[in-house]
Amino acid sequence: MTRKIVKYLLLVLVIGLLAYNSVYIKKLSEVQTKEQTAFDAASFAEKLWVTKLPATLDSAVTLDVLRSTIKTNPGYAFDTWFNSMSIGNVRYGLVKLTGKVLAVNEDDITVLAGSAADPLTVKITTEYVYGNAIRDASRLLDIRDFVNTTDLNNVSEELNKLVRKRVLPAFKEQVRKSDSITCTGAIELNRAHIERSRMNGLSDLEIIPVQCKIIQQ
Amino acid sequence: MIAIQKNNTINLARLQSLIALVTLCAIIAILSDKFLTMDNGWNVLRQIAVNVCISVGMTLIVLTAGIDLSVGSVLALCGAITAGLLKNGIKMPSADLFIGFTILGALLAGIIAGALLGWFNGFVITKFKVPPFVATLAMLTIARGLTMLWTQGHPISNLGPAFSVIGTGWFLGIPVPVWIAGMVVLIASFITRQTRLGRYIYAIGGNENAAILSGISINKVKLIVYSIAGALAAVGGIMVTSRLDSAQPNAGTGYELDAIAAVVIGGTSLSGGKGSIGGTVMGAVIIGVLNNGLVLLNVSPFWQQVVKGAVILIAVIIDKGGKKK
Repeated sequence: MTRKIVKYLLLVLVIGLLAYNSVYIKKLSEVQTKEQTAFDAASFAEKLWVTKLPATLDSAVTLDVLRSTIKTNPGYAFDTWFNSMSIGNVRYGLVKLTGKVLAVNEDDITVLAGSAADPLTVKITTEYVYGNAIRDASRLLDIRDFVNTTDLNNVSEELNKLVRKRVLPAFKEQVRKSDSITCTGAIELNRAHIERSRMNGLSDLEIIPVQCKIIQQ
Repeated sequence: MIAIQKNNTINLARLQSLIALVTLCAIIAILSDKFLTMDNGWNVLRQIAVNVCISVGMTLIVLTAGIDLSVGSVLALCGAITAGLLKNGIKMPSADLFIGFTILGALLAGIIAGALLGWFNGFVITKFKVPPFVATLAMLTIARGLTMLWTQGHPISNLGPAFSVIGTGWFLGIPVPVWIAGMVVLIASFITRQTRLGRYIYAIGGNENAAILSGISINKVKLIVYSIAGALAAVGGIMVTSRLDSAQPNAGTGYELDAIAAVVIGGTSLSGGKGSIGGTVMGAVIIGVLNNGLVLLNVSPFWQQVVKGAVILIAVIIDKGGKKK
């Protein structure tokens, strides 16, 4: 009988200890207040968009300069104008171009850029704006300022949202074939393919736009 | 004499699996220089660990002449429960109460949920005499639906670095999932070889009527076995969730087939009463190596399924051939 009591007492003790270390109870209102004061990626992205991004866009390298530098010194171009906040060969950079619209497609527009002697066809994405291209290309964030990668990635998503809401709808509505446009956006470059880029020049370029304007003739 | 013969049969079955494994490794090593590298070895072991946990539970069930088709869905649901409780806790607005879960609490909740789902399988099978195939097939759908309800169809991600240790961490130079699978195997081997429960499991699978006449409470044993299998599926679910740092609503799809394959290849008889945990581990390793080899050799995913199915078929045919002799 005593053995049985001790057995059950021990069992209750173990269960009690496990339960004590398993759950904690708080007031829901306190938790919700704390959640509200957590990092607000939308506000952060908005502030970035208004205060810092315009200057960065102004200082973006032009497509012509980038192309000539890629041919002569691809390593320099990659290290100077391209950036990534994650590991790997892929980096993103901001590039500015002026060109003539060749076609307006469902998901993108095709633009003829470059000089008459050395033309280049590029695509400007107008539908699918995802990933970290704009965030990384802008070089405005420092990974050490963020306590976790979720917050950092949320900033990316908010920047992409701003492009989808504020840039693309108006641009898509107005842009027509044969329009002259100027556009600044993010492009991707892979270190592993940089030698091929040096030999053949930049090809199959796809730009994720941040700022697009139709030049009035 | 009979005992010696039985031991010889088990040893022969194990030897067959071992020869199959060594041959498989040799072929893949010849065809791919990446196969025999340390990184790949650890990677294979890490992937096998989840299947080992599920397969061990499946072995216990198959030994009783049962089957559990719900382990993949139970794995997903328990992974999602663990992730959900860890990340969001339980909110009770009417009482202004928030119940938060520590990692220990979330793990326990996930494992208990798995055990309860397994217990429910056992309950339906023993109480209503529903064939295990049908009862667990129903649970497969129920658990998958509950997972969708719990997650609202979205992954539950960003569970924190401490939780990730379970699926991606290392301890004494060995991946944590391998430690967990190793412990599961040791405990299950001990249960099947050294305890009364283990003897009852073999007895029920060998001859259920004889087991009843011997005074074994077969319903109780089956309830325990299905609960253990559910809990082990939950352990697998936790490992998968931790490795991905995310509970995916469609996780574990088809895992039941890999588990059954491991059990069959390991020499456990689908009619119950014969087999071992060691054999199942061997079966899981063969399946894992086969999966890895097919990927390394760039075999199309469609062909991978064909090859896996063929290997299971060959294993069963060899098993049948051995029994005839």
